[in-house]
Amino acid sequence: MFTETRLTQGVRLYVRRTEQFKTLTFSIRFKQPLTPEGASERAVLANILEDSTETYPSRAALRQALETMYGTLYYTDVGKRGGYHYLSVNAECVDDRLIRDEDITDWTIRLLADAVLRPNLQDGVFKPQVFEREKQTVLERVRSLYDDKTRYAQQRLLTLMRPEGPESIRATGEESHLEALTPEKVMEAYRRMIGEDEIEIYVVGAVDEKAITASLKEAFHFEGRVPAVLPEKAARGTGKEGRVSEKQNMKQGKLHIGFSTPVKFGTEDFPKMQLANGIFGGFPHSKLFMNVREKESMAYYAASSYLSRYGLITVSAGIDAELAEKATKLIDEQLEVMRAGEITDNELSQTKAMLANQLREALDSSRGQIEIFDQYKDLPGGFTPEGWIAKWEPVTADDIRDMAGKIDRQLVYLLSGKEESADAKA
Amino acid sequence: MQKLEYSRVNETLYHETLPNGLQVFILPKSGFSKTYVSFTTRYGSIDNTFVPLGKDEIVRVPDGIAHFLEHKMFEKEDGDVFQKFGMNGASANAFTSFTRTAYLFSATDKLYPNTELLLDFVQAPYFTEETVEKEKGIIGQEITMYDDLPDWRSYFGTIENLYKEHPVKIDIAGTVESISKITADHLYECYHTFYHPSNMLVFAVGAVDPEEMMAFIRKNQEAKTFDKPERIVRQFPQEKMESAVKEGSLEMDVSKPKVHVGIKLPALAEEGVEGLKHELAYQIMIDLLFGKTSKFYTEAYEEGLIDESFSTDFTAEEGFAFSVIGSDSAKPEELTRKIQDTLQWASEKFPFGQEDLDRQRRRRIGFFMRALNSVEYIANQFTRYAFNGMNLFDTVTALEALEVKDLQEVLVPLTDEQARTVFTVKPPAKGE
Repeated sequence: MFTETRLTQGVRLYVRRTEQFKTLTFSIRFKQPLTPEGASERAVLANILEDSTETYPSRAALRQALETMYGTLYYTDVGKRGGYHYLSVNAECVDDRLIRDEDITDWTIRLLADAVLRPNLQDGVFKPQVFEREKQTVLERVRSLYDDKTRYAQQRLLTLMRPEGPESIRATGEESHLEALTPEKVMEAYRRMIGEDEIEIYVVGAVDEKAITASLKEAFHFEGRVPAVLPEKAARGTGKEGRVSEKQNMKQGKLHIGFSTPVKFGTEDFPKMQLANGIFGGFPHSKLFMNVREKESMAYYAASSYLSRYGLITVSAGIDAELAEKATKLIDEQLEVMRAGEITDNELSQTKAMLANQLREALDSSRGQIEIFDQYKDLPGGFTPEGWIAKWEPVTADDIRDMAGKIDRQLVYLLSGKEESADAKA
Repeated sequence: MQKLEYSRVNETLYHETLPNGLQVFILPKSGFSKTYVSFTTRYGSIDNTFVPLGKDEIVRVPDGIAHFLEHKMFEKEDGDVFQKFGMNGASANAFTSFTRTAYLFSATDKLYPNTELLLDFVQAPYFTEETVEKEKGIIGQEITMYDDLPDWRSYFGTIENLYKEHPVKIDIAGTVESISKITADHLYECYHTFYHPSNMLVFAVGAVDPEEMMAFIRKNQEAKTFDKPERIVRQFPQEKMESAVKEGSLEMDVSKPKVHVGIKLPALAEEGVEGLKHELAYQIMIDLLFGKTSKFYTEAYEEGLIDESFSTDFTAEEGFAFSVIGSDSAKPEELTRKIQDTLQWASEKFPFGQEDLDRQRRRRIGFFMRALNSVEYIANQFTRYAFNGMNLFDTVTALEALEVKDLQEVLVPLTDEQARTVFTVKPPAKGE
């Protein structure tokens, strides 16, 4: 899919030439092992880099320049995958050929290089006002999780299940670590990022591969580096098991159930587990949707997600809290049915077709192409969409039965309203 | 079949109006694996008072019925339509807005079986009292889910207070109480009135051969019989530009207050390029006043009055239009004052010029080009514009024709003090 060029040790460029889009998409990704401190520093760093550059030293100046360049998108982001944290610097600009009189591509590459290499500094560190404001913004983002009860409940589930693991560390950092940051600390984090991180640069669009490689090489000269690898996993105790209920002022009950599985991303059984999750609760034809929603009318949504890097499957459903017991039982039954091998040919073929469709569809956007390729590229044998789809084809009902046997319920978490608790029937 | 070339954006659109009145549009996009097909009726949550097909008297149906009907279309005598799309590897969905109900799928395989399924399931209603009753539990949970979303409550609370009677003030899904009154007969009545092909539009975009697809849809439609098209009589209350309620608030379990300022605006009156120009003028004016490069945004962000949740919204349809500006804010009163002051400042002396317009124009041209990467955007927006008598692909033409005086014109209703409302979602008072 992408042409890979090694720019220097630890820095790789991936280019995909395509006429599919009217824009060119750029993404520069910095990767480091995930820790709560590091995530906090980098979440603020990402915001600072998005705010301004040396050339455009205020938010308004930078945003005006972007508007003038036909609304070129420029943003930074943070995320996590497995034990790694990612900070990405991204841009998307209109294909020059559609505008004619401008050189938007060159301008966008210059902007990205400015953003990454020539930030908006004062006396060698990030400007204190910018730092303070962006720290505040990230803090507010972290706190606002509380307002989104579904996301809040999911985060609580992960924290309870894996209190010390990367599973529960948020890519946007943690309040206590954010509070302790200073401009100097973030500056130090920036220097390490530029000097030590593994870097991947992605380009998608109607580009000349040679020319764009030359432009990017010239714009970014990173030194070679030996990227940090994850330390050997220390034996980690798993977190809570059983049931946990918490109350807030709200109407609906948010039922989140966590399962653990030894089958993780990149293992032999991984494609089979993707299918098993699909049959369990990944789609509107899945067992959870058909039984919890359609048959019992208990929920508007009832679905499962496979967090393959962590060996977790989580189920979430929005229900009347008084029915939590019944819903949990019903969800368990769906898994029991799978363990007993009750999987129809229809379910199997539908799920295969849906997964294939989902993958092919995701590749119809430039961001999707980057995301998916980036996720799968390091698997042995490389990645092609059709190659991956072929791995689902031979999976049988017996395989799904075996996979269901490798899914163990660990924790049932219910977040529900306070009033219900007062009136709750015995 | 009509072929329309839009050379500025390198797109070719194919169009035909079928004998039964159905509008079909097809836009092939090279390089795409998927095809997105939507089948939309011009019928939404606001259409609750109308003359049913074949009758003479106006009826008023329960709130939330268009959305309820959308849900029920997926259940048939022989099972669930999602299952059938699933067999063909397509992902299907539907949504109901104030003015439209859309059914859609996207698929990378079995395009024609999926298209047939879409056309057939939307054109074969099946409602029984039993299935209608069962759905009430599911939609009840959907409504409860929205009840717990503070952003939605704040946004909708704002709209609710802008209008005295217009049904745009009613939540699209209705309430647990209002949906309890819905019967299968209601659903049939609404279905027969609003799902006539002459009130509907099909849009297919992505990996699609226009000739073949048009022939396929034509054949599918020819095999079915429909009543003669009739003009649908819908009734809406007329109301003043003044907002119904000036201030409202709600207590919810949030970490920080949320505040929204709503502005009631005159409904879109023009069609074609003029209509588009008018709409774009509003959008650009709102960007100039409150967008990321505005004086307001710079100051409010630095003063900590707004955060990343800040947003501006402009909604315009035939019959109503409004703008909502808001953010999470630790100082909701100060933020409200600043928004009001900004509007006041702009109304006293027009603070923008040619340069501002030119910059926003370029930004919007770029935005439009980028949006054309998305088949979902194309189908949904094209349909919306078509139902309002406009063409999405006139966007660049309309943008290029905009003048500063067009911006000045829309500033007048935007700054009308009488048309405003403020809505706040507050965290619970301490000690409770």
